[in-house]
Amino acid sequence: MLNATVISQILWTSLATSSYFVLFALAFALVLKVNKVFNFAQAGMMTCGFYAAYVAVRVVGLPGPAGFIAALAGGAAMAFVLERFGFSVLRHRKASPMFVFIFTLVASQFITYAMTMIFGTWPTTIFASMFWPVTLVADVAVSAWDIPAILATVAVLSGLWAFLRFTRYGQFMIAVADNADLAELYGIRKDRVLMVSMLIAGLICGVGMFLYGTRAQVQPAAATELMLFAVAATILGGIGNLWGAALAAVVLGVVQNSSILFIPSAWQGFLLYAFLFFAIVLFPSGFRLPERSKALKRTVAAPVIAADGKGG
Amino acid sequence: MADVLKVSGLNKRFGGIVVADNIDLALAKGRVLGLIGPNGAGKTSFFNLVCGVVKPDSGSITLVGQEINGLPIRERARMGLARTWQNLRLFSSLSVLDNLMLGPRAYSADNLLDVVFRPGHVADSERESRERAFAVLERTGLAGIAHQPIRDITFGQQKLVGVARALMNDAQCLLLDEPMAGVEGQAYALIQKVVRDIAASGVAICVVEHNVAFIRDLCDEGVFMFAGKVLARGTVETLIADPQLTELYFGT
Amino acid sequence: MDYVYTILILIGLFVILASSFDLVIGHCGLISIAHPIFYAIGAYVSAMLAKEGGMPIPLAMLAGGAAAFAASVLVALPSLRVSGDYLLIASIGFQLGLIEFAKHIHSIGGAGGLTNIPPFLVNTYGRVSYVLLVLAIALLTVLFVRWLTRGPYGRMMAAMRDDELAFSMLGRNAIWVKVSIFAIGSGIAGIAGGLYAHYFRFLEPDQFGLLQSSAILTMVVVGGMRTTLGPVIGAIVLQILPQAITFFGLPPSILGPLQGLMFSGLVLVFMFARPQGLLAAPDIWAGRDSKERRDG
Repeated sequence: MLNATVISQILWTSLATSSYFVLFALAFALVLKVNKVFNFAQAGMMTCGFYAAYVAVRVVGLPGPAGFIAALAGGAAMAFVLERFGFSVLRHRKASPMFVFIFTLVASQFITYAMTMIFGTWPTTIFASMFWPVTLVADVAVSAWDIPAILATVAVLSGLWAFLRFTRYGQFMIAVADNADLAELYGIRKDRVLMVSMLIAGLICGVGMFLYGTRAQVQPAAATELMLFAVAATILGGIGNLWGAALAAVVLGVVQNSSILFIPSAWQGFLLYAFLFFAIVLFPSGFRLPERSKALKRTVAAPVIAADGKGG
Repeated sequence: MADVLKVSGLNKRFGGIVVADNIDLALAKGRVLGLIGPNGAGKTSFFNLVCGVVKPDSGSITLVGQEINGLPIRERARMGLARTWQNLRLFSSLSVLDNLMLGPRAYSADNLLDVVFRPGHVADSERESRERAFAVLERTGLAGIAHQPIRDITFGQQKLVGVARALMNDAQCLLLDEPMAGVEGQAYALIQKVVRDIAASGVAICVVEHNVAFIRDLCDEGVFMFAGKVLARGTVETLIADPQLTELYFGT
Repeated sequence: MDYVYTILILIGLFVILASSFDLVIGHCGLISIAHPIFYAIGAYVSAMLAKEGGMPIPLAMLAGGAAAFAASVLVALPSLRVSGDYLLIASIGFQLGLIEFAKHIHSIGGAGGLTNIPPFLVNTYGRVSYVLLVLAIALLTVLFVRWLTRGPYGRMMAAMRDDELAFSMLGRNAIWVKVSIFAIGSGIAGIAGGLYAHYFRFLEPDQFGLLQSSAILTMVVVGGMRTTLGPVIGAIVLQILPQAITFFGLPPSILGPLQGLMFSGLVLVFMFARPQGLLAAPDIWAGRDSKERRDG
């Protein structure tokens, strides 16, 4: 039963499926880092992204790429609504963190129930079929979904990295993440930066849900579970460390998918909660790679100060 | 030697910033020591390290001979270490009296089981700490506003409440973080008198203060800190008179 | 008439749940919405002890409360030692994970539910007796929360909410306060669970999920956090509103989400339009003298 082919097959498939986990974790970790919010409403952004693509492709009958654009638009639109009418209002009212917390939770549930009212609880997919043609590469079945999914994820990762590293707004985001008040003193418009960070998270959620929804069935409540996975990855990756969260998501994804080798499939769903609990109890501050991550942080932070000097 | 608090070899850095650089310092019973130095010299950080708000990278902190480094904040407080805060940190939804009532080393309701199963015991202890609180309020001239909410009293009164709350601990060592900033007139004289009285009763006191006059009037000795280092120790007059230190203090 | 009794019992149970939840989230400032899972633990433990173990039902109910108490300590202790934020995540993970777990355990009925739970009181003394029992415990809960939060322990909770660091610097143990209150609130929810189980005599894991979390949260937020009567009013209003909807004869597939939409929508409306809830929290500790405080 357990031979090299089976193992490499499972490893490959789980690596490919962890692509969307990485994206969800990235979005969650980004908002946590910059906006300083445990954004449970991310599930709402994800749900909107999925159903936007679903409506575009299955209801209106647009082609796949239009569905992809719709997913991006759906995720970003919900992110806009949450930031504009939710977070920013609460921020200006100086609401307590608990209040903001409850808001994200309740908003997420509100969106879920609204979607359930509209689309029902029946699971659906973005395309009529979730079966993708398969090619054998050295005895390992590689589906036509796998490669684009991995490429898309790598593209998002490098795009975000480049954005944070090289663009003005990216640098502003890091400055706000480091010290929002100080950044504001330097003339960075905090509200705008926080909005940009939410929009990026919304776009990433859109990409992730498009990938997920073309491969698995989705119902309105599904996003909550996917998001909890992202929460676990964010904690394991070390809060405030985007790339750590992405890496942790890959590891968790591979572990969960390959768990089929060790535990009955009925229990696979339970594994997520075990991760979550595990992450909090055993690794509350993540797996730390102290020297390296600190060094990285400094190289990223340094140009910000330079940019401030010029800009201010 | 009657050193109440003894700090040796204390180090702490945040990234590239050194807030404590091999600090050795001792506070003696009944003496008032003033910490002087420019902003960012590490004065408040020193308090935070001693109290356990910030964990040092290395070093030792002993309170009456017992190592307290590594203990949680609350344990240090229960051993007789009390402090005030630069930004007061009063409980703003509580009255003045209730702020003080929470201050004793052992609180009436620390144990929830007592609250439920020994209400008589809790009531006795409440009465006791109420009496003590009123005694402290009397001493700090706050008895008249005991039942006022914190947000309704003046800033000077709030400063006094901060000190009074710390007094409820019956501390062996008291750290005062800028007790005078923004205080004038009556409250100023009162704080000065209270601090002197407490010192006279045998408490070791350390004061961070920018008001040089206050430091000079009050402190038996001063310590000059710069960039996390103790640069000099001596009478306040000699420290102020030192041109090198003055230059460091005011910058160039 | 049975219908009215059932509604009264549900109102009583939700008064217990909302009041104990207000103790946790409002008075102690702990962010967790996993209250229903402790309700579930109480219900399942009590039901199983009575059904399989033959334990007298009142004892089984108390054991259910104790089990919920113990489970909540297990959740709260490790997460609160890290930070307050983690309690929310740990408790949601615990809630959803345990529900998932229960669905796969056949001896407690699995996803299909646990049936034939032994009844209590109703067969011998009629439904009214059960209504009275539940309402009496609801009243006790409300009075207990009021008593606890207005005494010296309440003073600690108020101070801790204001400034946890200053609170610790006075020698007070913030984690201990939080764990104690979380456990007490959860233990009370566990007892409510036992009361539920032996009246409705059927339990299924899914009924203790996020929908119920938002229902209880709504009761507290809408009624008014940190008020004695807020959770009571919230429980009554939010128990009767959904009942009113059931009269429209909507199919269950719409009814569930519609209730959820209503609960979460109400919280959102209140959060932005009237954050203090229907009743505003009194400043219990802001002054006046203590005699007045105890009477008023």
